[in-house]
Amino acid sequence: MKAENVFARSRLLPLFVWIFGLLLVWEGASWLLLHVLETPLAQSKLPYVHEVVATLWKYGGTLIKEGAATFGNAGVGFLIGAVSGVALAVLMSLSRIIERLAFPYAIASQMIPILGLAPIIYGIVRDEQISRIIIAGYITFFPVSLNMLRGLRSVEPSALELMHSYAAKPWAVYWKLRFPAALPGLFSGLKIAAPLAVTGAILVELMGAQHGIGVIMLRNLYYGPSHTYMFWSTVIVGALLGIASYGLMSLAERLAAPWQPEFRPKGGSR
Amino acid sequence: MPSNSAAELASASQDGSAAPAAGDRQTPGVKRKPLAAPGRQDRRVPKLSGSGLLLPLLAGVLFLALWELQVFHKLFDLKKYQLPLPSAIAEAMRDNFSLLLSYTGYTLTEAVLGMLAGSACGFLVALCATAWPRWGGGSLTLVAALNAVPIVALAPIMNLWFGDGIGSRVAIVTATTMAAMAINAYKGMAAVDPLALDLMHSYAASKRAVFRYLRIQNSLPYVFTALKINATASMIGAIVGEFFFSSRGLGYLLSNSIKVAKMPLGWSCIVLAAIAGVIFYLAVERLEKLFIKWHPSERA
Repeated sequence: MKAENVFARSRLLPLFVWIFGLLLVWEGASWLLLHVLETPLAQSKLPYVHEVVATLWKYGGTLIKEGAATFGNAGVGFLIGAVSGVALAVLMSLSRIIERLAFPYAIASQMIPILGLAPIIYGIVRDEQISRIIIAGYITFFPVSLNMLRGLRSVEPSALELMHSYAAKPWAVYWKLRFPAALPGLFSGLKIAAPLAVTGAILVELMGAQHGIGVIMLRNLYYGPSHTYMFWSTVIVGALLGIASYGLMSLAERLAAPWQPEFRPKGGSR
Repeated sequence: MPSNSAAELASASQDGSAAPAAGDRQTPGVKRKPLAAPGRQDRRVPKLSGSGLLLPLLAGVLFLALWELQVFHKLFDLKKYQLPLPSAIAEAMRDNFSLLLSYTGYTLTEAVLGMLAGSACGFLVALCATAWPRWGGGSLTLVAALNAVPIVALAPIMNLWFGDGIGSRVAIVTATTMAAMAINAYKGMAAVDPLALDLMHSYAASKRAVFRYLRIQNSLPYVFTALKINATASMIGAIVGEFFFSSRGLGYLLSNSIKVAKMPLGWSCIVLAAIAGVIFYLAVERLEKLFIKWHPSERA
């Protein structure tokens, strides 16, 4: 039995069927709630898909603008966090002392609900832009550094021996061997961190910012049923931002490290 | 002899967990501990030996001392009401101990319930995806997409559906913990040793028997990896869910304390959330030790 690659061609048709089917069920359930069960606040609970799409279309400009504010800040924080995460990983792989110092804390931070820090940071900084960047960066930092470190360590011993037998300089070993080997690990870290960075940015906005998708989400929620389609549109934009950030990282991975098994047409015998 | 055993290929999964160490040559059939899922190191808690823990402990103490001596306040030009001193945080914890404890229990309950529900759903999705690869695969992708949806966007919707009670937070946590389990369990079920699969076929084993005796067993280490990820994720989900429409719990107290500028209380919520998260995580790890004793990775 071959488990094919999810992204292979044969998988695309079922996926579309799934998505389409879900939308149909959604629309049907929405109608059911509204007309058959007559639940209070039916449209707030599950609005008509076509109404939401129409709202998305109508207020597209606003949504894109606010979404861009969120995405931009999250992106800047993400980049800063990723770069410092990579730097720490390289330092940890170079020096035992730094590793002994930083590694337990990196591990512990994995067990701690980091997102809970968002209101605290906002309370300290009191500037939405900066606190969005800080949170996004902080969330990105640890997964990237841990995965990168694992990648740097995943070098084949025989390849290392070969480099030594050529009397390669340490920087050459890093540049030609360790960094390429670490790319898959790095990207797995980036792929986890990207949606989290977006989440963190939106969370900061809900704490009382002026701009961003989170702000209009909250505003429309407070207006109640009259703005329900707009509220759902903001939710969908938020979801799309998260998915887009993940997609971007997957795309970058394909370009930067295309030799991995999961990109092979047959996907190996997973 | 191919050097890539199924277990290795599995760890290079579609959701991008790190590629395996290609240097790990091993005979097929000898399984290695699956690489931890994305974002997780193969985290065995560092050995509690003196030398291994002394240095980070010293660093931590130094950090706290600098904080207490207001070095950070001078560096970043902060006021005490923005960043409270550790002594103030400890005091706030002492003063509100019983309240904090009951809220921690409440939040932890939400997290555990949601995690169990979410992990069960995720496992079911993985079962379907393995049993019917063509049509189940799409569901896996959808679940992965759900994972990329910000929790914050889910929170208000779940609140509309399930009211202000514990239900809405459990639902949020369920939604956030499904994906990790689905993807990991799927990896574990797909990455069975081909030789074992051939053996099952030669016995004319039914699909059900293959699942029962081979795939489920094989997926256990992966399932526990997912559970460990979910332990953290569920705490985050519960706390973030409480930020908005709640009248109890650590997340509620945290956001509320900050609104009324009771910073030390807010920080003590963070401290407790961290402690609860670590305890939850370690509990899952102990369970793992109990359940997969037979696994090579658990042998000394």
